Amino acid sequence: MSNSVKFRLNGAEMTYTENPAMRLLDALREGYLLTGTKCGCKEGECGACSVIVNGQLYNSCLVAMGSLEGAEVMTIEGFSKTERFAVLEKAYQEVSAVQCGFCIPGMVLASECLLASNPHPTEEEIRVGISGNLCRCTGYNSIVAAVGIAAQKGEGLW
Amino acid sequence: MVTSVFAHSLKEALEYRRNPKWIPYCGGTDLMVEGDEGAAYLFVNQVPEMRKILVEDNRLRLGAAVTFTEILNAAEVPQILKEAMGDIAAPAIRNAGSIGGNIGNGSAKADSALVFMVADADLRLASADGERILPIKDFYLGRKHLALKPDELIVEVIMPYKGLENYYYQKVGARDALAISRLSFAGIMELEGDKIKNFATAFGAVADVILRPKEIDAIMIGKTLEEAKALKEEYLKAIDAFIVPIRGRVSVEYRKDVAMNLLKDFLEVKGL
Ligand SMILES: Cc1cc2nc3c(=O)[nH]c(=O)nc-3n(C[C@H](O)[C@H](O)[C@H](O)COP(=O)(O)OP(=O)(O)OC[C@H]3O[C@@H](n4cnc5c(N)ncnc54)[C@H](O)[C@@H]3O)c2cc1C
Ligand code: FES
Ligand code: FES
Repeated sequence: MSNSVKFRLNGAEMTYTENPAMRLLDALREGYLLTGTKCGCKEGECGACSVIVNGQLYNSCLVAMGSLEGAEVMTIEGFSKTERFAVLEKAYQEVSAVQCGFCIPGMVLASECLLASNPHPTEEEIRVGISGNLCRCTGYNSIVAAVGIAAQKGEGLW
Repeated sequence: MVTSVFAHSLKEALEYRRNPKWIPYCGGTDLMVEGDEGAAYLFVNQVPEMRKILVEDNRLRLGAAVTFTEILNAAEVPQILKEAMGDIAAPAIRNAGSIGGNIGNGSAKADSALVFMVADADLRLASADGERILPIKDFYLGRKHLALKPDELIVEVIMPYKGLENYYYQKVGARDALAISRLSFAGIMELEGDKIKNFATAFGAVADVILRPKEIDAIMIGKTLEEAKALKEEYLKAIDAFIVPIRGRVSVEYRKDVAMNLLKDFLEVKGL
């Protein structure tokens, strides 16, 4: 590795030249100042650090920068500019699925990845889809409801 | 200062591997929990030879960097492996975690490795100087002690893809979505006519390595169900003596009891 990693971040070409062993989470927050990605555990347990890599949900705390050669990374900042986000945001608001908000960027990206692969999930499938994302506040029911509403209202988007 | 290297091909990866300082990195879901920023990784997650899933000569070849999600989505993969992979953690872990890393971490809790053990899979190991095929059973020498040479990489897992249909799989975990298995069991009984053609069991997280009592299982092979039933007590006794559980967070007696109960359930479900 000539010590540089070329990848796309929220659609923009990036060349990363810092330490390849650094966590994507730290690079996002400290290097690229994208603080919508949260840090809850650095152990893959909480999902607060969720991002989308090549269309799939990843825990950014468990990704080393050097592994991202050629990858397409989307954070909540990038996703928030999409039509799908608008539908999810409205659905989360409708059922008051947000309390402290710490888990929400990750939850929204997990919701997006679920709906992208399964546009009409059952309640059980929604629970499995967000099973890697912990929420201390809501007890999950409102979040599950929000994803269901988004699936309905966003018919055709996913 | 070059602190990590990215391999574009197997050849390149193996050249780097001549120098033991590089740590192979597939999905990072084990390595990054530690997250040592001073680590020198050899990124193999995009090596094309390690990304393949294909059937050749009635054997399924799975590249080491194939992820759990890719296994779940592949039509060629036997159900027993899919069931075990479907039980693993949460979507984000399944998307990143690979079978090569699961085997390479040397853990007796590794869920894909349990299935590869019961299926008597082979590992294709390679170094810049050549390749070898090793039965996975011989790969695990002891606690965190693998038969992997310092210049070798796991390239592929090669397993039968037929004859695994009549299986039993159970994972008894402490938590649900993110449970790293406390204890797991897989069994296979393949019948041909009224005779048992193959009989295999494997126990995860009960000892330092995944246990595969091949010699004991062999007493069931070639028997009719009636004959096997008559051997059941003798068989169970032999397995009971074979399992020497580790002292872990769960008490030794508990581990062994659960392991034996899963085994008995397997026998019953399969009519023995
Ligand atoms: C929250 C969480 C939940 C988890 N749940 C489960 C679970 O339910 N079941 C389970 O089995 N595991 C679980 N794991 C553990 C982990 O996800 C798996 O072990 C996974 O298979 C590791 O693969 P990886 O590609 O991410 O490994 P990596 O972290 O990249 O590597 C793991 C080890 O293998 C070595 N290695 C990697 N590739 C090769 C290669 N090609 N040749 C030789 N050595 C190699 C590495 O050097 C390292 O020592 C969990 C982990 C987390 C963080
Ligand atoms: S910070 Fe990554 S999963 Fe918790
Ligand atoms: S809203 Fe507070 S953690 Fe989920």
